Amino acid sequence: MFSELLNNLIEDTLGHGLWYFSAELCLSGTIVAMLLMRLLSVDRLLPTFIVALIGAAAAGGCSFGQFADLIAAHDTMSVSFFGGMLRQDLFSVFFRVFLSLFLILTIALTVLTGIPDNEDAPDFYSMLFGATIGMMLMASANNLLMLFLGVEMASVPSYVMVGFLKGRKASSEASLKYVVYGAGAAGVMLYGISLVAGVLGTGDITLLADRLRIVAEGGNAGLGDPEVRTVALGVMLVMVGLAFKLSLVPFHFWCPDAFEGASAEVAGFLSVASKAGAFGLLVRFCVGLSGVPETAELMTAFGVGLGVIAIITTTYGNLAAYTQKNLKRLLAYSTIAHAGYMLMAVAAMLVMLNSDQAPGLGKAINYSIGGLLYYLAVYLFMNLGAFAVIALVRNYTFNEDIDSFKGLISQSPALCITMLVCIFSLIGIPPFGGFFAKLMIFASVYQAAQIHWAMYVVLAAGAINTIFSLFYYVRILKAMFLEERPADVKPVPLPAMEGYYVVVLAVMVALLGFLPQLVNGLSSIANEAGHAVLLVIGG
Amino acid sequence: MVGETLKFWLMIAWLLPLAGFVVEIFFGFYSKNPRHSKAAAWCAVGCIGIGFLCSANALRIWGNANEWCVLEAAEHGDPGDTQADAGHHETDSAEHQTAYSGVIYTLGVFGSLEVTLDYYIDSLTLVMFTMVTLIATCIHVFAIGYMSDELTDEYVDHSAHTSDGGHVHRPGRFYRFFAFMSLFCFAMLGLVLAGNIFQVFIFWELVGICSFLLIGFYTERKTASDAANKAFIMNRIGDFGFLIGLMVLWTFFGTFRFGDTVVDEQVVDQGLFSMVHRDGTGNVARDEVTGDVLITDTHGHVLTNEDGSNRQIPYYLLVVIGLGIFAGCVGKSAQFPLQTWLPDAMEGPTPVSALVHSATMVAAGVYLAGRFFPMFVQEVLLTIAYTGCITLFLAATIAMVATDIKKVLAYSTISQLGYMMLGIGVFGWAAGLFHLITHAFFKSLMFLCSGSVIYGCHHEQEMPKMGGLLWKMPITAFTMLVGVCAISGFWLPFGLHFSGFHSKDAIVASALAFIHANPAHFMLFLIPLLTAGITAFYMFRMWFYTFVGKPRDQHVHDHAHESPWVMTVPLLILAAFAWFCAYGGESGHLYLMLTGDEPSHLAADVTAATAGGINLPGHAAIHAVHDDAGRWALIAALSGALIAYVLYGTNVVNVEEIKRQLGGVHGFLANKWYFDDLYDALFMKPAHKVAAFCAWFDGAVFDRILHGAAKSMIVVSKWDRVFDETVVDGFVNLIASATQSVGASLRVVQTGRLRQYVMFIVLGVVALFAVMFTTFPG
Repeated sequence: MFSELLNNLIEDTLGHGLWYFSAELCLSGTIVAMLLMRLLSVDRLLPTFIVALIGAAAAGGCSFGQFADLIAAHDTMSVSFFGGMLRQDLFSVFFRVFLSLFLILTIALTVLTGIPDNEDAPDFYSMLFGATIGMMLMASANNLLMLFLGVEMASVPSYVMVGFLKGRKASSEASLKYVVYGAGAAGVMLYGISLVAGVLGTGDITLLADRLRIVAEGGNAGLGDPEVRTVALGVMLVMVGLAFKLSLVPFHFWCPDAFEGASAEVAGFLSVASKAGAFGLLVRFCVGLSGVPETAELMTAFGVGLGVIAIITTTYGNLAAYTQKNLKRLLAYSTIAHAGYMLMAVAAMLVMLNSDQAPGLGKAINYSIGGLLYYLAVYLFMNLGAFAVIALVRNYTFNEDIDSFKGLISQSPALCITMLVCIFSLIGIPPFGGFFAKLMIFASVYQAAQIHWAMYVVLAAGAINTIFSLFYYVRILKAMFLEERPADVKPVPLPAMEGYYVVVLAVMVALLGFLPQLVNGLSSIANEAGHAVLLVIGG
Repeated sequence: MVGETLKFWLMIAWLLPLAGFVVEIFFGFYSKNPRHSKAAAWCAVGCIGIGFLCSANALRIWGNANEWCVLEAAEHGDPGDTQADAGHHETDSAEHQTAYSGVIYTLGVFGSLEVTLDYYIDSLTLVMFTMVTLIATCIHVFAIGYMSDELTDEYVDHSAHTSDGGHVHRPGRFYRFFAFMSLFCFAMLGLVLAGNIFQVFIFWELVGICSFLLIGFYTERKTASDAANKAFIMNRIGDFGFLIGLMVLWTFFGTFRFGDTVVDEQVVDQGLFSMVHRDGTGNVARDEVTGDVLITDTHGHVLTNEDGSNRQIPYYLLVVIGLGIFAGCVGKSAQFPLQTWLPDAMEGPTPVSALVHSATMVAAGVYLAGRFFPMFVQEVLLTIAYTGCITLFLAATIAMVATDIKKVLAYSTISQLGYMMLGIGVFGWAAGLFHLITHAFFKSLMFLCSGSVIYGCHHEQEMPKMGGLLWKMPITAFTMLVGVCAISGFWLPFGLHFSGFHSKDAIVASALAFIHANPAHFMLFLIPLLTAGITAFYMFRMWFYTFVGKPRDQHVHDHAHESPWVMTVPLLILAAFAWFCAYGGESGHLYLMLTGDEPSHLAADVTAATAGGINLPGHAAIHAVHDDAGRWALIAALSGALIAYVLYGTNVVNVEEIKRQLGGVHGFLANKWYFDDLYDALFMKPAHKVAAFCAWFDGAVFDRILHGAAKSMIVVSKWDRVFDETVVDGFVNLIASATQSVGASLRVVQTGRLRQYVMFIVLGVVALFAVMFTTFPG
């Protein structure tokens, strides 16, 4: 019997598991190659970033191959592999493509800004790749163990990257804060996982809802039942771990400090990629708990609770950004606020998924996850664009305060226009991509509001927060476009390549809003991915 | 495919001026010596000249394709003489296709609404095309001479003053003038070619903007820029009605197209004209129960909705459509009560007045009324007739006392446009459009003559300073005399009548037939008849004033000279057309061409239609009173001319004395019936008041609200900052200081804060747990 199991496992792995895991394997291989190169001093002949770029491109190619397979097959599939540890569907593939693309863009940015130098490059890229693998694992996790592993795998290299500017005290301090805070959150999460897995007797995320029904013994699962109560506590503790990764209030304290201490490139990477992976994981976790009538009431309350956290997070992030003078710190608060917007989509999904009208709402539920994915895709370009501009300006002025941006339009219009496009998109001004992303999320919150009134409050809070956010974003633009350049600030002459890089990002942000084919194509793929992640319910 | 060929040639004629515009405006700007080069002018002349050749060629092709069937009618006797003859005409038209329509370009599809550029080519289109391109060519050539003083780097505008009292000095704008003229030609031809009412509207606005640009050509003069604004705004008022008409039209008919789109003899896309069916008496087909107008297919069968009920439109809305479209025509053709912009529009250069504000653009209103005639019901026609009637009298009386030579012509234009509207309104469709063509020739001729006089007198426009110029500028004087005789409608033996005689006769005859059928509306005949006399009077007054008698201003007279050939040759060409274009009258080629595609319910077999108590005379009825009407009109014209001769051609009567004795009336007329003052008091002043109030409201209320919102936002964010600094930071600092002694060794990296953070994890978890257990379902 054991050998049969083993045989099945081998067949499974060699049959398709390795192909599904190829992107992660490429990244792992690249890490090994980079470290070996340093050992053999090859990195003096061949710059490390080239190897890194090749590795990232290979991972992207594999991901895209899987993506093309799925699209070409035209059928929606969702299979677990590696003994049920990971899950392959359009959702996880979407994240692989997304993360590989982002990895390539980040490497390109680091090459342009010159952080890290050639000496440190293998270390830095190894950390970057390791974190990316962790994020990919998060998006395809099918087991509570993989959930924890993914989060940790993404977190640990991030700690190092935040402290990568070894000479700077602020950087080391930020890294330390991040580590300790992360360790605390991880401990809480691990405790939650053990509670959930212990009571329910499985680690398989897709089985959680079913087991919960059994535990509740046919009745309506409520907190009155001690076992259900235990599971609820466990779920909440897991949520704390995820909330740390998503920097949701009140688990956001690390975020401004870490972003301020880290270099802008790392901050950009963390704000987008780590958030994307965590959202993928959150969606999988929430879907795994949903779809069973007995737990519906509890899960709806959970969804509304997420909505409330989303409101608090968005409002806090936006208001706290007002008084910031350091741009990275300001964008850290902006990141917190955006996490709140995206959490609204998850809340809407939970409310709709667990209502008694769920079978009729299939499209709307897909749409809510699709909206989240679209938001992430647009967020990639607009946030990376903003951080890239900060990094490029920093290289000349050695300063990341808003004051150093004053009157920049007279010296490098390309950077200013990019910043303008990115910020308009971050605010959600049509016709840039951010507007449509926000619109999709608000639309699904509105759909959910038809089911639970509380979502109307969420919608209103989201709308009001959009206005709040206007003020501090526009302050940056005002400094860049309207104010005089102070005489003592160093000039920013922009070399061509860096200009092209940011302009490409800005163009993408604009195209994601202007170009109907792109908007429709991406949102329909996002919706399909949303559909794919839901296949585990009742299947 | 004759339709395709026609489309091809007319498209060339239509688009060439656009190409010309692009070349002129850019080349003119970038060429090495733009201020001294006549290249732009020759480019414009070339474009419109070739356009004329293409139009003429299209006319020839069209005629050959249908074997000139519309002209053959004449060889069988007078049209409308007998029923049999009319029947023949019908079959002729049935054998030969004379109207072509189709799609040029689809602008966009919005649901079931297709916005397209269509073409609709029938005899009216072709005659208009040929007329417009011919006159435009003559005027362009004339303008080369007239505008030549703009060929300088420093043009001194004696009519525009700078703030320190000097004259405005500016670079010459020769090329820009011709660029605008070309753009106008493009827009005007597009309007004529248009195959749907929406497309008409597009080009309607485009000619409007060209008119604006050209009136305000001397933009440094306040009078000119004011006049341009006035023209533009007055036209918007009319266009408002136009838009309402379009909306109703779209709601009920679902298409803007005039004609049916025919592919392989199958109607694929029905146009408006065949949707309203006329019964045997010429009335629109109506539902017997509700009285609503039925919407039919090409063969007169009622169309049905999806639920099987008949498609219909309330009768009053059909009236609204007609009145709305007509409101647009009122604005564009300067009819009462929107007539006041046209005299002011004379601020533009004289060639502009000749082309835009007499021959073509202002006539576009009449053209549209004619083109849209199949959709007009009796009530609308009566409105048109009375509007025309009031306008023609009003303008003619003002023209009697005007002293600016161009203003006289401007009021005369308004009056003649009134005649055309009247003609269309009293069922004299052909008469109105006939007058449109003849008027275009003689009025553009007279404007060019006045331009020649102004040029010769060094930009003197006041007639009281002229006089005795006859032998100073003989060509101008005699061609002008041709125009004056033509507009007065004089008769000559051997059929050599002036063109105005035929066309005005036709209108007066239509009016006479109309009041025979409807005695209650007798004013519609008496006033035009009286005005025919007034017309002759003020026209001859102008001529005598300018060309004969003693020179009133010796300085002007001494410097006056005949214009160069480039200006006089167009005068001679136009004079020939003004005299002879209507040769043969209602059996002549021009009239037959125009009536070739007359709306069918006007054709001779419909003698009378009765609805709303109004009888509409058919061709036969009009023809019966034709000679009577002609005699009356001629008598009126001759007496008007005679009075003018006595008063201004001889020294028998002291004009000043008469003016003094009739001071009240003269003042009333000289002040243009106080229309400008009336509008000022009625609309301008209230508008200024409202605007002032709005400004106050904006400043006092809206701004205050906005400022309040901004202030409260600042207060909130300040509070948030205070919260952040005192509560959050204070809390953090508090605990930091409390744990200071413990973490003394790690104080350097602010461990106090970090521990704080970790504490927050715990606090957060506990808080969440508490919230969950109190709120989640049990």
